[in-house]
Amino acid sequence: MNLYLNQIAAIVWKDFVTELKTRELLSAMFIFALLVILIFIFSINLSIVKASEVGPGILWVAFLFAGTIGLNRSFMLEKENDCLMGLMLVPADRTAIYFGKLISNLIFLSIMELFILPLFMIFFDIDLLSHLGPLLVVVFLGTLGFCVLGTLLSSLSSNLKTREIMLPILLYPLLIPIIIAAVRMTGQILDGTELSDMMKWVGLTASFDIIYIGVSIMTIDHILEE
Amino acid sequence: MESLENAIEVRHLRKAFGTLKAVDGIDFELKQGEFLTVFGPNGAGKTTLIKILSGLTQPSSGTAKVAGFDVTEGQPEMRKKIGVISHSTALYADLTPLENLMFFARMHGLEHPEDKSLKVIEEVGLSPRRNNRVRTFSRGMLQRLSIARAILHDPAILFLDEPFTGLDLHATNVLKEHLQRLHDRRRTILMTTHDISCGLEMCDKVALQVQGKFAFLKNISDVDKDRFESTYFDAVRDNQFSTGIGI
Ligand SMILES: Nc1ncnc2c1ncn2[C@@H]1O[C@H](COP(=O)(O)OP(=O)(O)OP(=O)(O)O)[C@@H](O)[C@H]1O
Ligand SMILES: [Mg+2]
Repeated sequence: MNLYLNQIAAIVWKDFVTELKTRELLSAMFIFALLVILIFIFSINLSIVKASEVGPGILWVAFLFAGTIGLNRSFMLEKENDCLMGLMLVPADRTAIYFGKLISNLIFLSIMELFILPLFMIFFDIDLLSHLGPLLVVVFLGTLGFCVLGTLLSSLSSNLKTREIMLPILLYPLLIPIIIAAVRMTGQILDGTELSDMMKWVGLTASFDIIYIGVSIMTIDHILEE
Repeated sequence: MESLENAIEVRHLRKAFGTLKAVDGIDFELKQGEFLTVFGPNGAGKTTLIKILSGLTQPSSGTAKVAGFDVTEGQPEMRKKIGVISHSTALYADLTPLENLMFFARMHGLEHPEDKSLKVIEEVGLSPRRNNRVRTFSRGMLQRLSIARAILHDPAILFLDEPFTGLDLHATNVLKEHLQRLHDRRRTILMTTHDISCGLEMCDKVALQVQGKFAFLKNISDVDKDRFESTYFDAVRDNQFSTGIGI
């Protein structure tokens, strides 16, 4: 058990050291998300539509696209020099490798989101601070679902030549329930609804997160095999 | 007890990619401490054989046991006992040699990962460059570091796929000496190489793989080293004519 946790920690540590040196992952995701938000800001008229109605959708589209860039990049690291083969040769359970990658993806995406949220607040002139707690819960639940499924599918598509195209094609349809729930909850939170008044949505997202984690644990052995 | 057991046991092993038979019915065993060199022309299936034995790819049929484990089961315990040098380096380009080895040491659950990593870096002569990014390394330096990764956890069984590729004279000698030491310490070694003198120098058994089959497998004492080159070409020619494919 100790070794298992240590192996997960080692993978996260390795991804962090790489990111500290290259700063490619975070900067690419951040710039991309920012651009998405900017494009929407200049293409919609906020004096006609309510910011809290269009804002959540735009926010999640930005997270989704930027996150996909992050997943692709994160798996590219493992494909360069066939590092994935090196990982297959260490005495680690395949799920430890999966959880290591999942946690580092989750941390990187969360950092990107923490930088994007204040900018979103400024551009859309929405007061996020008064709903910060519930908002962070919702962002976490949505991001967790995205990373759980994204990490699994990027390993699945890693052996395909068309990985960059296949990942979103496989990922987005399966993410629909999580994204719809996340957008709905974000909208309601910005309108002042308490988290306790939308437990249905929270439960739905959390259930999908858990189901997808279960699916990943069950299938990762076969997926990582060539 | 353990020394009586075969370290590697291969029975009727086959691997096909579509209609191409990369490994086509190989049988052999190696006792603990034995050193087998496999020669063979390009595309003979040597790398495929090593990939199957190290559990990286599944055989189409037949069985292979390594350190007592069935290779198709993918046991982590088996991977603790093997070290592999392959065609690709499997090193993280943006990390330094020290960071790379510390990562693998932690994945292997070794104690004192930093000390162990520094020690093997010293052994392969990369100490002066231990804090440079691997991306900036030359071919031979990468190969040295791959060797360091393979021996880091002191495995009982080593699979070396053309380990001398890209090494300069000095590094070649260092690797030879190291293999000799491992051999003396009764580590089991399976090596492929195209370098006839290097390959014949240290081994106990020699195999020649042609078109997925072992054209011969002999104890080194039964091999005439001076005539090996012509034996090699004869075997390759015979096999290629019999299957109708010439070079
Ligand atoms: N993943 C694969 N898909 C299809 N064919 C493959 C694959 N891997 C290997 N082969 C084929 O199997 C045969 C054996 O390849 P292998 O790499 O094992 O040869 P080798 O003896 O290691 O050659 P070399 O001396 O050039 O390294 C080759 O014909 C190769 O094209
Ligand atoms: Mg080869």
